[in-house]
Amino acid sequence: MINIKTLDKILKKVEKPARYIGMEQNSIEKDISNAKVKFAFSFPDIYDVGMSHLGLHILYNLINNEKDYVCERVFAPWTDMEEEMRKENLPLFTLESKEEVKNFDFLGFTLQYEMSYTNILNILDLSDIPLRAKDRGDNAPLVIAGGPCAYNPEPLAEFIDFFVIGEGEEITLEILKLYEKHKAENWSKDRFLEDIATMEGIYVPKFYQVVYNEDNTIKERKVLNSTAPEKIKKRMVKDLNTMFSPESMVVPYIETVHDRVIMEIFRGCTRGCRFCQAGMIYRPVREKSVDRLVELAENLVENTGYENVSLSSLSSCDYSELHLLIEKLMENFEEKKVGVSLPSLRLDSFIVDILQEIEKVRKSGLTFAPEAGSQRLRDVINKGVTEEDLVNTVTRIFREGWSTVKLYFMIGLPTETDEDVLGIRDLAYKVKDIFFETPKEQRKGNLKITASASCFVPKPFTPFQWLGQDSIEEFYRKAYLVKNNIKDNKIKFTFHDPKLSYLEAIISRGDRKISELILKAWEMGCKFDGWSEHFKYDTWIEVMEELGIDGDFYALRNRDLEENLPWDFIDPGVSKEYLKREYNKSLGEKITDDCRISCNACGIVDCTMRGYKF
Amino acid sequence: MIIRAKFFKKGYLRYISHLDLMRLFHRTFNKAKIPIGYSEGFNPHPKFSIANPLALGIESDEEYIDIELDNMEVEDFIEKMNLVLPKDVQIIEGKSIEKGETIDSLISWAHYEIEFELKENIEGFGENLMKWLQRDEINIDKIRRKKKKEIKRVENIRPLIGNLTVKEIHEKNVVLNTLLKAGSNGNLKPMDLVEAMNRDMELKIDLQSMDIRRTGQYAEKDNNIFKPL
Ligand code: SF4
Repeated sequence: MINIKTLDKILKKVEKPARYIGMEQNSIEKDISNAKVKFAFSFPDIYDVGMSHLGLHILYNLINNEKDYVCERVFAPWTDMEEEMRKENLPLFTLESKEEVKNFDFLGFTLQYEMSYTNILNILDLSDIPLRAKDRGDNAPLVIAGGPCAYNPEPLAEFIDFFVIGEGEEITLEILKLYEKHKAENWSKDRFLEDIATMEGIYVPKFYQVVYNEDNTIKERKVLNSTAPEKIKKRMVKDLNTMFSPESMVVPYIETVHDRVIMEIFRGCTRGCRFCQAGMIYRPVREKSVDRLVELAENLVENTGYENVSLSSLSSCDYSELHLLIEKLMENFEEKKVGVSLPSLRLDSFIVDILQEIEKVRKSGLTFAPEAGSQRLRDVINKGVTEEDLVNTVTRIFREGWSTVKLYFMIGLPTETDEDVLGIRDLAYKVKDIFFETPKEQRKGNLKITASASCFVPKPFTPFQWLGQDSIEEFYRKAYLVKNNIKDNKIKFTFHDPKLSYLEAIISRGDRKISELILKAWEMGCKFDGWSEHFKYDTWIEVMEELGIDGDFYALRNRDLEENLPWDFIDPGVSKEYLKREYNKSLGEKITDDCRISCNACGIVDCTMRGYKF
Repeated sequence: MIIRAKFFKKGYLRYISHLDLMRLFHRTFNKAKIPIGYSEGFNPHPKFSIANPLALGIESDEEYIDIELDNMEVEDFIEKMNLVLPKDVQIIEGKSIEKGETIDSLISWAHYEIEFELKENIEGFGENLMKWLQRDEINIDKIRRKKKKEIKRVENIRPLIGNLTVKEIHEKNVVLNTLLKAGSNGNLKPMDLVEAMNRDMELKIDLQSMDIRRTGQYAEKDNNIFKPL
């Protein structure tokens, strides 16, 4: 255990000390001295953000359900806390038993966002754990990582002992069991890594070598160890009804991003938006049944005392029995004053009925994501919504009394012209007109439209993985093109920092050389890069210059379809042929059907969607 | 019915704010299935109030809460609540009361134990303290924010100090006991008291590592001080 006196002294000085105390309702404190395997789970951002992540609650309960295993949480301390900890020489500790992270068997990171990678190094450093995998001996914790960003593990290859590719519900316990077995025999980290490398879904970077061409593209990958497979297949849970789902969640004392029950209703997405990595890597769609969800919701509400249940998934309105589900939940929760909410909304009027049902009292703001301003561009990205959808939906919601609308767009999409970009303005104006065309007696409140644009970052395992990103200048030009053309105080236009998106593009499609960039940037003080007040763009650029890394090579370059990509050795289920097909179709402005209409032969084996008619 | 209950807040839980504590109670009512009353209106909220908000970092042996609810045995209430509440916040006792003065307006004094370290051994700390207390006026600056402006006001805190005694001095370590005015008719935070002391007596206390514990809260009627339960 760390020095509690020192902790006490520090807690009096920092902002929101409750981030560091643990002891929340449903947190699990076990006697760690008796545990056979001790797992420290880390979300590499502050507590307030990490505690809103559903995956944390799943793995936390999954591991702690096993009698002999312990899972405890660790987050990135906010800068004030870090400063005090370094001053007092207090090592990073887990929230539950206040034990030093370095005394755990595993330190597992979830990778949700590339711009949190410097935080990973900071967490290792604060824990007094060597940063590079090769510097960690038999007694150091195994540092592992999973989550969506692990689909391109290479930028972190230098630091992580092994990656877990795909869904964690089944493989996590398999890993811990294998570890327990090795520990009981004669422990050697290398022997364990050799053994675990044969497990489906596991990637051990040190068993591979990458050979580069002179132009810095990849020539080939060599397998250095006979047990390591050439291709790493993602892990996927077949049946979500029988899969482990938490019946309880840790309830933070402080207010976090989502102060409510988060309940996953299904995994995967059938829509095939071409920019969306999640839509590709989580295929195929697998739903939990209405009965199972009603049961889970009941227990989650009962165990947490929360008054709101948020249904979570990609494109939530696609749940096949959404009406029935909402009806049953509302019926059960009516008396308990528990509300139900749906986070991501689709642009068709069918959702209005659902909204009517769940938002009986409060007409809070609504969010829609047309993603692109013109129909042509929406066809390019295969975002299957039309202007008519938007018009119909918005017409209805204004009549029902809503008056605040948020519209999400991206700029810098492939083939985008200025006309497409100005389509963002046009759509926002259209929404405004619809509001004022609504009969006066029907509309309520003051109209507020926020259109916000993020800068498109091409991601691995999407049909756009070969494409160069817009330059920073081009992003600014397009953003201001919209901004300067909106002259209406009812419409607000905001856009994301293009510099941050540039860095994100470099890292997300990075190769092993990016490890050095992340390391050096961290050494120069970069952390919390996703927080605008901490993002040090100039430092990143300086470091790239110093290391001779050309950021444009990663972010802006159009790749040849035949180029070896750094993440090609990962098999996410969808085939490269399918991605190429989609890429070519996008350039031809051809749309691809929703999987529920027809199968598009994406390469998923045993797809449960195929032939599924709604 | 209304239940008035006394609870403590200690250990790590002193690091949760008043607002966090309110949310904790709210969720605990839900989870423990307490038939709590709700306000009418657009956005109904549960009817309970915790008197005299405790600042972050201060432990307390005696906090008071009034809860409006449908009929329920007090013992039953306490048992159900304590099962759900964390071990560092537990209800000690409670009773059913008539609708009348709320706990918030009742509390007018709070008793504290304050422990801190002096930079060096100071001769005659006790006597100096007594001398300091004999002043008619001890003024502090109170800053209030109104919209964006800061309004500074000088306040004489001497009348807000009921008593102040040295409980223990052990080398540089000092423990004080003090009774301070609380509530809407004058309120003095223990932190402000020590800051003024530190300033006037030139003590160089490490203010941030000070330990403060609220040991009691009292109501006052006709010059009588009594416990609200
Ligand atoms: S196999 Fe067919 S139905 Fe299944 S996800 Fe791929 S394209 Fe869609």
